[in-house]
Amino acid sequence: MDPLTAPLEFAIALESGLVGQSAVDHYWLSADYWDLSIPLYLFLAVVAGGGVLTGATAPVLARLLGSADGRLEGELARWGFLVGVVSAAGAGLAVLSHLAVILRAVLFPIYLTNFESWITIGTWILVGLSVIATVCLVFRLFGAKAAAAEGASLFPRAIVGKLGLLELADRLVDRFRPPAVVMGGLYAAGSLLAIATIYTGFELSIVETVPLWNMPVAVPLAFLFSGLAAGIGLTVGLTLVFERRLEPIIGAYAAMVGLLSGLGLAAVWYGWSVLTASDAPAAAASQVALTNGTLAAGSWLVVFGLAVASVVGLLVGALALTGRSGDGTDRLAGPALIGSFGLLLLGSLALRIILLLAAEQNPVVVVG
Amino acid sequence: MGEQWMFYFDPNRCIGCHACSVACKQRHDRDADADEWRSVFHVSTGEYPEFEEVPVSMSCMHCHDAPCESVCPPDAIIKRDEDGIVTVDRDRCIGCHYCAWACPFGAPTYDDEGLMSKCNLCLGEGAGGGHGQPERKTPEEGGVQPACVSDCVGDAIKAGPQSEVMAEASDRAAERFEDGAYDQRVIVEPVDDDAAVAEAIREGESTAGAVTYEG
Ligand code: SF4
Ligand code: SF4
Repeated sequence: MDPLTAPLEFAIALESGLVGQSAVDHYWLSADYWDLSIPLYLFLAVVAGGGVLTGATAPVLARLLGSADGRLEGELARWGFLVGVVSAAGAGLAVLSHLAVILRAVLFPIYLTNFESWITIGTWILVGLSVIATVCLVFRLFGAKAAAAEGASLFPRAIVGKLGLLELADRLVDRFRPPAVVMGGLYAAGSLLAIATIYTGFELSIVETVPLWNMPVAVPLAFLFSGLAAGIGLTVGLTLVFERRLEPIIGAYAAMVGLLSGLGLAAVWYGWSVLTASDAPAAAASQVALTNGTLAAGSWLVVFGLAVASVVGLLVGALALTGRSGDGTDRLAGPALIGSFGLLLLGSLALRIILLLAAEQNPVVVVG
Repeated sequence: MGEQWMFYFDPNRCIGCHACSVACKQRHDRDADADEWRSVFHVSTGEYPEFEEVPVSMSCMHCHDAPCESVCPPDAIIKRDEDGIVTVDRDRCIGCHYCAWACPFGAPTYDDEGLMSKCNLCLGEGAGGGHGQPERKTPEEGGVQPACVSDCVGDAIKAGPQSEVMAEASDRAAERFEDGAYDQRVIVEPVDDDAAVAEAIREGESTAGAVTYEG
């Protein structure tokens, strides 16, 4: 018996009152299995959205909070766009690695013509997000202003410098830097595309044959909230590793991660209640798979990761926003944020993995 | 727009011999170990001592609403207007496997190249064989009978334009179909329990399975 389908066969046996008999074989139609590159893609696409959202909103938040510290705002923005570029590239590579004919997918403007399909829609969203993240990153990394700035996120400048192209890059960027209103438009478009990464949830939730996925509210919202929280959390974590200061702008993002993680947990909980109330045998099979055996550890990681990030993010965020953080709390709160956001990353990825591994199709068998 | 072709299946007449799936492999020249476009399952029903196994033969049902078609990103799956047969253009398929998840009947299969293939109602031969073929003709019009239909020893599988298949279905099956059974993607005879068989024989509605004594 395949360990992955063992709980499933048990659940069906349970449903059909056949426990103890070996007659449950073939009641099921197993779908063609999607390998682990798919949950990785579903995860990284939204993490990229979280990074871009941080980068695009950092200047606005800095102004709103009256942040005198341009360095922290610059670091957050650059790390955000870096997270966006690297994660979007990772998502693209992950999904391409799964396909049989990569060239046709690379030629997506010619081949992906079905705009009813969430894969087609998602491809355009991911490509748009990558382009905006790259353009914004380049304008943040190069030019006279960047040359005068300091911070660990400027490390790509050193790489370009090693290639002897730094001066040229600075000159070109200053020459072609668009006016502030155009940059504002790019940031707005990037933020919209970041939210549009909710498509990753729709890719699964429209699959009517899999009750674990076919939840048009719970799955997309759980993917969006947990993924954006992970992307923003990763950006804040990277910033904090090098800039150990809990300024209000860090507090604002920490609170945002806390809020999004809490909302993600609520969406997961809602999905769980729908699943457990379902009469479909495939829902029962998924429920058993999620609570028994190896996948149960993944389920707990999802709950734990989202819950801890929610509590720590909101708490530290409130402290930093209200200016109550001092030297003592900074020493504790920084590592707490970094640790809890690391856990959040694992939990958010685990959510996609268990949703893939516990997926079972409803048996549509023409038995009369 | 032509009339939708569809499959009919009668589990009461299926003896689970696999002739249909073997015929399918032969007609389409597929390797013996390749995934099946038509498969025969043995489904367990009831509890001991009423326990029994019902053989079931399934393939792509050429669904009127073809969920596989709507998820396929490169439009490689085509629901044909002229006869409703769902074909695959393998020159467009990217091998994403999305159709496998969307299909309620587990019909799509993937070969060593990772491309999708499935039943084409013997519109053509081989993987992707039905794509771009002219409108399906019935045997009376000179078209070939699907291999699974012609080789089924129990007459359990039928295929054809919806009105013709409906005309051959029992009243109960037709009624259930009209009521939306299996989302009107296939016509299936209800499994008869013994009482229903006895009733049908008494009413003279069925001779199938009737016991005859020869002296
Ligand atoms: S049975 Fe599956 S493959 Fe065939 S038309 Fe329906 S959804 Fe598509
Ligand atoms: S595997 Fe091929 S036929 Fe199936 S949805 Fe993907 S591109 Fe379409």
